[in-house]
Amino acid sequence: MFRTQLMTSLSVLALSLAPATGALAEDADGNIVVGFATAETGFMQAYDKPAQDAAMIRIDEINAAGGLLGKQIKVVNADTKTDRAEGAKAGLSVLDAGADMVVVSCDYDFGAPAALTAESSGKISFFLCAESIKAGIQGVGPHSFSASVLAAVQGATMAEWAYTKKEARDFYRLLDTSYVYNKGICDGFDWMLPKLADATLAGEDVFKNDDASIASQISRIKALPKEPDAIMLCTMMPGAVSAIKQIRAAGINSMILNGSAVDGSYWLSAVPDLSNFYVPVQGSVYGDDPNPDVNAFNALYKEKTGADPATQYTYPGYSMIDVWAKAVERAGTIDADAVVAELEKMDNEPTLFGPRTFTSELHHQNKARYLIVETTAGKPGVIDEWTISEPVPMDALMK
Amino acid sequence: MLQVLFDALSLGSLYALGALGIALIFGVMRLVNFAHGDVIAFAVFALLWPSVDAVAIVFAGKMPWFLLIPFILAVGAGLSVLSEVVVFRRFRHASPATMMIASFALGFVIRYFLLMLFSSRPKSISLLPALSQPVEVLGARMPLLQLITIVATLVMLTGLSVFVRRTRFGLEMRAAAENFTMARMLGVRANRVIMGAFALSGALAGAIAIILGSQTGTVDIQMGGAVMLMAFIATVIGGLGSLEGAVLAGFLIGAASVVMQTVLPPEARPFRDAFVYGAVILVLLFRPQGLIAARGTKERV
Repeated sequence: MFRTQLMTSLSVLALSLAPATGALAEDADGNIVVGFATAETGFMQAYDKPAQDAAMIRIDEINAAGGLLGKQIKVVNADTKTDRAEGAKAGLSVLDAGADMVVVSCDYDFGAPAALTAESSGKISFFLCAESIKAGIQGVGPHSFSASVLAAVQGATMAEWAYTKKEARDFYRLLDTSYVYNKGICDGFDWMLPKLADATLAGEDVFKNDDASIASQISRIKALPKEPDAIMLCTMMPGAVSAIKQIRAAGINSMILNGSAVDGSYWLSAVPDLSNFYVPVQGSVYGDDPNPDVNAFNALYKEKTGADPATQYTYPGYSMIDVWAKAVERAGTIDADAVVAELEKMDNEPTLFGPRTFTSELHHQNKARYLIVETTAGKPGVIDEWTISEPVPMDALMK
Repeated sequence: MLQVLFDALSLGSLYALGALGIALIFGVMRLVNFAHGDVIAFAVFALLWPSVDAVAIVFAGKMPWFLLIPFILAVGAGLSVLSEVVVFRRFRHASPATMMIASFALGFVIRYFLLMLFSSRPKSISLLPALSQPVEVLGARMPLLQLITIVATLVMLTGLSVFVRRTRFGLEMRAAAENFTMARMLGVRANRVIMGAFALSGALAGAIAIILGSQTGTVDIQMGGAVMLMAFIATVIGGLGSLEGAVLAGFLIGAASVVMQTVLPPEARPFRDAFVYGAVILVLLFRPQGLIAARGTKERV
């Protein structure tokens, strides 16, 4: 008896809650709401802010063109303060404010708390620029996506491109074990290398991002019978600058291949006259992107924020709103499951920064077009573009 | 082989300088100064104009090297003396644990001050770029900086040891390290000696700042942390309060780290530091008082 009563009262409660979570897809004014649970303070802010500014540019464009499904997109913000516990709160806070889609911090570890909050409310979440496979179905759930490209694709791209276009044959693998992102790049490289006929691994070594010196790692490279054609450097800031500087100071002139994390000219003053240095990017911040629309975007970004984009990690914010808005338009509704279904139908969907594909297994890019930026005498510039011959398979990604 | 020796000496130099900076202060006032790492960071940031942009605005860093080096040393020494005058002087009769907590707090204050002015974003600078040229010594090719680090450290250590042994101030300092109360009773001016120790320690932090900044090309508000940790461990292994012990242990840890990186198989190399710390534990098991125990510390511990 008591049990039945409880069930009845629970179902009444559930019914009364239903409109609040399901049907009420827009806020009281009839707007569609995008919630940014991102870092406005703390060290993640340096990564989140540029991508968020780029996202705002796309949102403003959509609103100016009449909005989405005839409604304006409204934005609500909550600061994660670069803290995981605050991240979950920030996620709740934007959901309470009526967010239909939640944008979370760039990095998987810092974005996941807010993304999980969105997932448990059945809302779509997008990581601003996470490059781990966990930023999506595998780590959060079926409503979660990442706006960037998997780190492994970067390592694989650099290996295949250097092999094909630069005739690199013996590679040296130098991994910074401090962060998962770095391992992702080297995983992609490890997967690609055996596919390249007569390419060999001349040697490998590891270091840590905050090592005061990598002199002994460098001595090992110099002890090789011949300087390797290319060094695959899997690291990120600030250790990357230190490693590159020390490699060149030791007189090693091999080509250095990297992930996108070292894109940007802001650090080049530390290694004056750096040459033979290659980075894959989604779009060029140097004003020489082969697509004139990207250069126009850079100009617009400068107009809105007062400065040029510092690195390519600005761009995923724009593509993110772009693909999400297209999916909403095609679904004809803001309902999360319908929008996810439309996103998963995207196969090489063109965006300003290369085609994007989502499937029901992977809400991330396991293959992407990359521009190759070469730095010569301290000047970076686009020299080529490359798309890996086949997507990085799941088992290489889950390593 | 020779290459490994030079690598070990240059990394060891860095740790030895750090360990000495900590041991100097511990010697005269039983304070483990955990703000030392932040003094290192501050000395490098003094070269930049405050800004939160991604690109560093070099200001004082534009000076020629013969002004730049004394400037960084002076900034390190100045900040260190300031921290003694403003903070540690008020803890003169506090327990070592209280002083240690105060030094942690001071470290946070310095770090967050830098955070406020410069943001947490690491910045890149070209500090003394001429040192990044490769040179050849006895068949080993190495960056000029590596050679200069070793030579400069040896010169500084010799100079310091002459200073401590041959001058009146050095004598007072050693007397204070041995038995502070007794030294005071015999007419050693305590505040002057302590201030001197802080100035020397700060200048050593400045020297590390120059080497790190020039080697890595990076300034980061956390940059002193890793060296500080290794240096602190070196002072413990060397025997807290013993200057010679700190220097010796600094070189040993540097050498151990380089040798492990060289001989460990690739699968074990990511755990290099675990092996180094394992060796530290072994040393402490067999010599809990440290390699060279300071005479003054025994009965107090």
